[in-house]
Amino acid sequence: MRKDYKKLMVIGSGPIVIGQAAEFDFSGTQACRSLREEGYSTVLVNSNPATIQTDSDTADSVYIEPLLAENVAKIIEKEGVDGVLSGMGGQTALNICSELADSGELDRLGAALVGTQPDAIAMSEDRELFKETMERIGEPVPISRSVNSIEEAKQAVEIIGRYPVLIRPAYTLGGTGGGIAYDEAELEEICARGLAYSRIHQVLIEESVLGWKEYEYEVMRDSNDNCILICNMENLDAMGIHTGESIVCAPCLTLSDADHIRLKTAALKVIRALGIEGGCNVQFAFNPENGDYRLIEVNPRVSRSSALASKATGYPIARVSTKIAVGYTLDEIPNRITGTTFASFEPTIDYVVIKIPRWPFDKFRTVDRHLGTQMKSTGEVMAIGRTFEEALLKGMRSLEIGVRGLDRSDIADDEIMTELQNATDRRIFVMAEALRRGWSVKEVAEAAQWDTFFVQKLRNIVDMEQRIASGLTAEVLREAKTMGFCDEAIAEIAGGTPAEIRATRKAEGIVPVYKMVDTCAGEFAAETPYFYSTYGRSTEVVPVEDRKKVLIVGGGPIRIGQGIEFDYCCVHGVMALQEEGVDAIIVNNNPETVSTDYDISDRLYFEPLLLEDVLNVIEAEDADGVIVQYGGQTSVNLAVDLEKALEGTKTRVLGTSPDKMDVAEDRRRFSKLMDDLGIQQPRSGTGYSFEEARDIAEDIGYPVLVRPSYVLGGRAMEIVYSTDELRTYVETAVKVSRNHPILIDKYLTEAVELDIDAVCDGTDVYVGGIMEHVEYAGCHSGDATMVLPPFTLGKEIIDQVVDITTRVALALDIHGLMNLQLAVKDGQIYMIEANPRASRTVPFISKATGVQLAKVGTKIMLGRTLKEFGLKGYRPIDHYAIKASVFPFLKLPGVDSILTPEMKSTGEVMGIDEDFDKACYKALIAAGNKLPTEGGVYITVNDADKPRILGPARALKEMGFTIYATKGTSTYLRENGIETTTVFKIDENQKPNAIGLMRDGKINLIINTPSLKSGAIRDGYTMRRLAVELEIPFMTTVQGAEIAVASIRVARSGEVGVRSTREFHGLV
Amino acid sequence: MARGYLVLEDGTKYEGELFGSESGTVGEVVFATGMSGYQETLVDPACRGQIVVMTYPLIGNYGVAEEYFDEREVHARGIVVREYCKDPSPMYDGRTIDEFLKVKGTPGISGIDTREIVLRIRSTGTMRGAIVGEDADLEKVVADLRGMEFPCETNLVSEVTCGSVEEIRSGKDVTVGIIDCGAKGWLVRTLSERFDVVRFPYDTPADVIRGYGVDGIVVSDGPGNPANPEIGSTVVATVSTLAKGGMPVFGIGFGGLATVLAMGGSVRKLRFGHNGASQPVKYDGRVHITTQNHCFTVEEGSLDGTGLVADQVNVNDGTIEGTHHGSLPILTVQYHPEAAPGPWDGSQIYDRFARMIEEGRF
Repeated sequence: MRKDYKKLMVIGSGPIVIGQAAEFDFSGTQACRSLREEGYSTVLVNSNPATIQTDSDTADSVYIEPLLAENVAKIIEKEGVDGVLSGMGGQTALNICSELADSGELDRLGAALVGTQPDAIAMSEDRELFKETMERIGEPVPISRSVNSIEEAKQAVEIIGRYPVLIRPAYTLGGTGGGIAYDEAELEEICARGLAYSRIHQVLIEESVLGWKEYEYEVMRDSNDNCILICNMENLDAMGIHTGESIVCAPCLTLSDADHIRLKTAALKVIRALGIEGGCNVQFAFNPENGDYRLIEVNPRVSRSSALASKATGYPIARVSTKIAVGYTLDEIPNRITGTTFASFEPTIDYVVIKIPRWPFDKFRTVDRHLGTQMKSTGEVMAIGRTFEEALLKGMRSLEIGVRGLDRSDIADDEIMTELQNATDRRIFVMAEALRRGWSVKEVAEAAQWDTFFVQKLRNIVDMEQRIASGLTAEVLREAKTMGFCDEAIAEIAGGTPAEIRATRKAEGIVPVYKMVDTCAGEFAAETPYFYSTYGRSTEVVPVEDRKKVLIVGGGPIRIGQGIEFDYCCVHGVMALQEEGVDAIIVNNNPETVSTDYDISDRLYFEPLLLEDVLNVIEAEDADGVIVQYGGQTSVNLAVDLEKALEGTKTRVLGTSPDKMDVAEDRRRFSKLMDDLGIQQPRSGTGYSFEEARDIAEDIGYPVLVRPSYVLGGRAMEIVYSTDELRTYVETAVKVSRNHPILIDKYLTEAVELDIDAVCDGTDVYVGGIMEHVEYAGCHSGDATMVLPPFTLGKEIIDQVVDITTRVALALDIHGLMNLQLAVKDGQIYMIEANPRASRTVPFISKATGVQLAKVGTKIMLGRTLKEFGLKGYRPIDHYAIKASVFPFLKLPGVDSILTPEMKSTGEVMGIDEDFDKACYKALIAAGNKLPTEGGVYITVNDADKPRILGPARALKEMGFTIYATKGTSTYLRENGIETTTVFKIDENQKPNAIGLMRDGKINLIINTPSLKSGAIRDGYTMRRLAVELEIPFMTTVQGAEIAVASIRVARSGEVGVRSTREFHGLV
Repeated sequence: MARGYLVLEDGTKYEGELFGSESGTVGEVVFATGMSGYQETLVDPACRGQIVVMTYPLIGNYGVAEEYFDEREVHARGIVVREYCKDPSPMYDGRTIDEFLKVKGTPGISGIDTREIVLRIRSTGTMRGAIVGEDADLEKVVADLRGMEFPCETNLVSEVTCGSVEEIRSGKDVTVGIIDCGAKGWLVRTLSERFDVVRFPYDTPADVIRGYGVDGIVVSDGPGNPANPEIGSTVVATVSTLAKGGMPVFGIGFGGLATVLAMGGSVRKLRFGHNGASQPVKYDGRVHITTQNHCFTVEEGSLDGTGLVADQVNVNDGTIEGTHHGSLPILTVQYHPEAAPGPWDGSQIYDRFARMIEEGRF
């Protein structure tokens, strides 16, 4: 039964980071919708503006504020919240709730935790409590013993019964000194080391379950103790690889019914013992030798796995968990998929679901690619098929890494075994390659610790390649399509073009059908508008005839450079289409997102985003239009080909014409347009050899920005300062040739960079926002700290920017959205680039200004005009919004934390306030910077920055900070009356130096602007890396330092308020 | 690989690859929604007379255990799958489902758009069907199917019941008799953990059963229509005599319906049965996820005057899933509390039966 609450709060998960991605936008948004359905007043707080949940209409009040317990408490108090949902915002929200509960703050404020209670959370989060609880109910966890000597360690191994064992020293940072022992000699060695490292001379000896199978159970419980299983999932990779890093299929495919029942029974016992109310994820290690299992982990909340399970089954776990949290029982909650049954059932699926992680190694070439217990992937794709092979191949081509299936690997024969045994992101390709080179299924399976069941499926795919190669008959074509091969892959093997393959198979009647995801394997008539393609006998999609239908191409997996922002845009596109009475159809493959919630669009297709797959959906739907502006580069790249393929059909690419999009994308055409418009661009050239590149660079003058014209796997863009550096770049980073020239641009030093998002209807232009980068041009706009509106530019420059934006938008005949990047240097404005699509700053601007650009853009694509919305020109706002980026440095050892033209951030936050300094403070804090209010600051800056660092340095001194500086900076500061402590440079190898002081906790903030030579950049690497590990805020620009100092001042004053987005937009 | 067809009485033909026995078969085409548990489904006596369409597209993934080859009879007349596994996971050392069905002489057909069949059955109800080789005269097959009696209308119980009385005694305090209409091994095993058990052929008369000194009777699940006249003159009549004489009775699935008939209620055929491992049943305010395999159900309203009260209902379609008698110790359920394949969620019903026997009445 529904409980009475006046107002309920949902806490989001903050910025996208590795391990906590868009799944919590999905769950939080579902939670809010679910609560509002029941008539509750709702409040949402999240610092991430790129989310759907922070839309003003998701909750009654939305706060874009840093996710700190004290802020949450302020909002609870201000809004009169009497119930808080802890389980919708990942670990972040759970931690905040635990903190508020433990400190008694929730009681003081009269707010209850809704759903799973603190003691239940503690029981699953605290290792010891969890172990005790599991022992009480008789469920096995890995056997372990704490020991204080090697003798005791040997006894512990006897109890465990076998090697290998894990050795974890107690009380050391990051598990230093631990390891895996495979025999007694290793045990002695590692224990000796571990005991020495441990502050209390103690190590934990734990049974190893490495190599066991890993199964996950998503279960749900209500307050009446009804428990159900939503879905089980099987990790293809054995224990030892994080489930977030593993290829996963649903349901479990190799588990017998009897063992499935054992694990299900255990999972239900666990959720009952912990008293969880809502969704819960239970992870098992399962020994394939003898059927023993161990409970590995329990997540007492919705999670990445539950988002996957929701999309895999159609069962809305977050939505139902929310209803349970407010008191409903499962049999009272309608199953919206069938419309006639209830949530108290266990979904049955009649297809294979596969999830594949998306790793960022294309961006971070220096990172160790090995997979293990630390998550490194930024996102994932999901694919559905009627066979394993079909789902796998669809998943592979959804990854946006340029592969079309199990593409060939050029690995050397003698490296195959190493790769199979020590997985990287490339392992699955190498497995297929090994099979092609004569390895047996069993050999590959043993080396990779996969079940032969799955390796055999890879074998089937490889065998099919052979059959295609030896003659593509209609029968082989049909079988290949049924197995999931895409036209491109078939064309690659058999010869011909994908278009020819498409034509051939259509002539043979080999076209996909669409089946419904309905939670019940067809047993009940369902109304879910959720489909996947397969090759079978009949389709369940009947094109709607009396309504206009528009398809939006989604953005695929979350990866560096293409984040949740594009999903936000797609969802807004859907909403706008629906507001205009048009059926909105989504095609996408990212299971974490809101756009792939079947509740959002009129029809959802879970598909790869290749031309073939998108065209198939367009044909099945008989769509009137397709929108390619919202799915980031994924969809923009389809524009020209789509238009060509759709020639002569009724389907139009809506908005800006693909040809005009091409003008913006094609360097030569774009330069010509800029010349015609009289807009300056940095000088540039194209070099087809090192010599040519050198001549161009010398002509333009160093530094120059260089990048390959043909970007493969995200090869880097770099700033080079000399001929030597250019030579190194050409020789190591890229291969320059006639076919693959490199592009050389003048790098504008100390230029202010601007990002502008605008909407144009072909006649008028609305400049949605102008954002000034805090960092100088040269730092990727996705990483830069941005301020809306500009904080250093005068009206004259702003007017010129608006004028340029207007002229470019009209010249490109933009219908919809456009993003510009400009640079300002010495009062001159330069065009950097134009993007004829929604950019990643669209949600940020929309949240800051209250004008929902993506919705306006969509309506314009349908033929409405800006006039109808009363939008034209540029409207300043009377508060500040600061976007700060969040980086994965801690999780990816080997990546330098310095900002460059190559994007590195995974997510963003917004700080919004009437006061500039306070907005800065909020942004920095929300981005996870541990700003000190006292302590020591280490300053070392290049000569050019010295004058400008005086202000921040003086301010810090006045606030009582100790200033440490190396000789040059120290002397300069002292000459200007600022007292400092001089320390040695790191490479002088003498104490005191920064490294030692950081380790001793004496440095709490670092301001380090390297000189603009890449050699100098490398020198600071050790210090930056240590700062990342010790979580010391690190400013690499003077502008960043200024902002940090302003923020520290705010932090010391303690006077920071909270305000809802509606208040900022003047709606309250 | 031999090609063949699945033919339905409405004239639909599905071409596919034959596996298992290539002998061809006819039966009532039903679907089973379990995502695992194909071996258990094939040997379920309640599947007698049926060609089972597996809704999960990958069947045979973990092989078939040796004990199934040795000890178990396949009751299904045929199996229809999207894909059967030729190279199962080695985890259980099982042999392939193809081998299993060959040994057991049961035909299978693969490569079929099974979901389409499910949707067809959902809208038209269960159908008679046949698995035939590619040379068959398909129109004649259709005509024959239309003239064929639904297997469930014949006395299938006589084919699956035990041959003679079996006593499984281990010195327990209470003795329970099973009227075997097609009892699964699990039922016998579960009951014998709690009670001494005597298993009776379905047509054993009431006085013979009484002669074994049983304290209560379990009427087992089984195949076909419980309203079949031969069931009426045997099982139903026996239960009627025993129940009205105060004997505690627990009817499961088919046996539950026979018990309802014995008390004067009536049953009807479902348009398509409940076949799967996730049927939610509400009982005592709680929801239990149960395994079911039946095509008939209690006629709502027919319980008036029988003394039976519906106390369990299916959350999905509202059909009656369980009853008890107001004054006599009688209990019926439509699901399989013994549950293989499927979850172990409804087993507390055994506790209820045990209490009923102890207290002498419910």
